[in-house]
Amino acid sequence: MKAPATTHKLTAGGLRAPLAVIAVYLVAAAGVWLGWWGTDWSGIQASGRQPPSPEHWLGTNLLGQDIFSRLLAGTATAFEVGLLVSVPATLLGALVGAFAGYFPQRWPDAVLMWLTGTLDAIPFYLFVIALSYAMRDHPAAMQLAMIMTFWTLTARIVRAETLRIRQLGFVAAARVSGLGSWQIIRRHVVPHTVHILLVQAAILFVAAIKAEVLLSFLGLGLQDGVSWGIMLAEASQEILAGHYGNFVAASAALLLLVLAINRMTDELQRSADPRSRGSADPAARHEATRA
Amino acid sequence: MTTPGSRRTLVARRLLGALPLLLGVTLVSFTLTVHFGPDQAWELLGRNPTPEQVEQVQRQLGQDRPFLMRYGEFLQRLTRLELGHSQASGESVTGLLARTVPVSLLALAPGFVLGIALALALALAAAWRPGGRIDRLCRGLSSLGMSLSVVITVIALQAIFGVWLDWFPVRGWAVDNAASYLAHVAVPTMAMVAANLGYNLRFFRAVLVATINEPPARTALAYGLPKSRILTRYVLRAALLPILTRVVFSVPLILISGSLVIESHLGIPGAGRITFDAVTSGDQPVLMAVVSLSAVLFVVALTAADLLARLVDPRIRAA
Repeated sequence: MKAPATTHKLTAGGLRAPLAVIAVYLVAAAGVWLGWWGTDWSGIQASGRQPPSPEHWLGTNLLGQDIFSRLLAGTATAFEVGLLVSVPATLLGALVGAFAGYFPQRWPDAVLMWLTGTLDAIPFYLFVIALSYAMRDHPAAMQLAMIMTFWTLTARIVRAETLRIRQLGFVAAARVSGLGSWQIIRRHVVPHTVHILLVQAAILFVAAIKAEVLLSFLGLGLQDGVSWGIMLAEASQEILAGHYGNFVAASAALLLLVLAINRMTDELQRSADPRSRGSADPAARHEATRA
Repeated sequence: MTTPGSRRTLVARRLLGALPLLLGVTLVSFTLTVHFGPDQAWELLGRNPTPEQVEQVQRQLGQDRPFLMRYGEFLQRLTRLELGHSQASGESVTGLLARTVPVSLLALAPGFVLGIALALALALAAAWRPGGRIDRLCRGLSSLGMSLSVVITVIALQAIFGVWLDWFPVRGWAVDNAASYLAHVAVPTMAMVAANLGYNLRFFRAVLVATINEPPARTALAYGLPKSRILTRYVLRAALLPILTRVVFSVPLILISGSLVIESHLGIPGAGRITFDAVTSGDQPVLMAVVSLSAVLFVVALTAADLLARLVDPRIRAA
C-alpha cells in the first residue's frame, strides 16, 4: 500500500511542537497509570483553599485536596476517555463507511446512510443524556453514548473514499482472483483509508475530551473519579470567592492539550491530502468538532 | 427546467426524502426516552408497591402493549403536540416549553447570530487576501476558539464581568425592561460568540477562498467590478449552500450545548435549564418532548436550508 509520500517532511515540519506537548501529557498520564504520581487525588491533605506551596504545587481546593494531584489524575482520565471513545468510534466508522461505499445504491448502503443521517439529526448532548439515562446502571454509559454517535462523520468520509477506491485496478484484480467482498474490504479498502482514520481518530479524541468536560461539568458525565470537567465544576463555585487555582489549572491543561492535538491534526491532514495543501483545510472538517 | 412545475416537484421530492429521517429520529427518541427512559409507573406509585400494583399501573399507562403500537401512539401524540405533563411540577409540557423557549432565544440567539455574522465578515476579509494580516489573525482566532470549551469561557466571563469588573449581573434573569435585558444578555452573548466564532470562521474561510478562486469570481474581478459587488453577488451567493448547512448543523452543536451550560450555570430559566432539571429528576415527559422535538426541528431546518439554497442556486435547481 502507498504510504503518504511526505512522511519525512511530516516529522521535520510543524509536527514537532504539538508532538512534544502531547508527549508531556502522555508521560503525566502514564505515571498515573503506573502509580508513580497523582494517586492521592481524593485524600484531604490540608485545610481548604491554600495558595501554592512546596507541598502543594498548585494549592488545594475547597475541600483541601491537592490540585496538582487532581490535575495529573485528570490527565489520565482525559486520555482514558479519549482513547476509549476515539479508537472504537473510528474503527466502527471505517467499517460502516467501507461497507456502505462498497455496495453503493444497494440496501446496505441505504440502511447505513439512513442510520448515519438519523444519528446526526439528534442533538448530540441530548442523545448522550437520554442514552445515559436509558443505561443509568452502566458505568461507561457516557463513553458508549459517545461511541454510538461519533462514528458517523468517519463513516461518511470513508464511504466517499471507498466509492473512489472500488473503481481502482487492484480491487478488480482482487475480485477476479476470487476474494470475497468482506476480504476485499478488510484487506484492500480499509488499509487505503488509514490516512483518513488517523486524522479522524485525532478529531474524535478531542471531541471526546471536550464532551467529557462539558458533561462532567453539568454533573452528567463521569460518575466517580476525577476529571478536568469535575475540577471546572468545583472551580465555578470557588471562583466567585476569588480562588482561581482549580480553574487556571484545569482550563490551561485542557486548552493546551486540545490546541496541540488540533495542530497535529491540521499537519497530518495537510500532508496526507495534497488537495488541501495551500488552502486551509478541506471542507471535510465540516461538523467535525462537536463540542 | 426552471418552470414552476419542476420547482414544485423538487420541493415535493425533498419533503418526501425527509420522511425516513423523521421516522428515524422519532424512533430513536421514543426508544431512548420512553421505552428505556424513566419508568413512569414507579413515579406514580407510592413507596414499596406490590408487584400487582405495578402491573396494574403499567397496564393503565399502556406499557404492556407491543413496541410498535406504543411507537405509533407516540407519533400520533407528537404530531398533535400532546406532550403530557411534567412530573416535577404538574405543568403541561407545552406550556413549560412556551414559557422557557422564548427566554432561551432571548438569552442566546443574539450571541449565536452575532457569532455567525462576525465569522462571515472576518472570513470574507481573510479570503480576499489569503496570507494577509487579517487572514493570520483569523487563523489564530479560529484555532483558539475551536480549542476553548464553552465551560471555560462561561466561568471566565462570569469571573471577569461579574466578580472582578462587576459590570453585569451573572446570575438569574430579572428582565423587565430594555436596560435590564441588555445587562443580562451581555455575558451569554459573549459566551455564545466565543463558542461560535472559531468553529465557523475556519470553515467559512476555506469555503470562501475556494469560491473566490472559481471562474465566476475571477472573471468578475477581471472585469473590474467593485469588491463589494463581487463578494456579495458572486462569492457569498455561490457559497450559500455549504454556509447554510453549516449554520443549521451548528444549531444543535452550539446552541443546545450552549444553552445547557450557560443557562444552568448562570441560572437562566430557559429550555436548557428545564432539560437539565428534567435529566437530574428523571422527568420523562419533559425529556421526551425536548429530545424528539429538537430532533424533528433539526430535520425540518436541514430540509428547509437545502431547499432554500437549491431555489436560489441555478446550478443545483437544474439538476
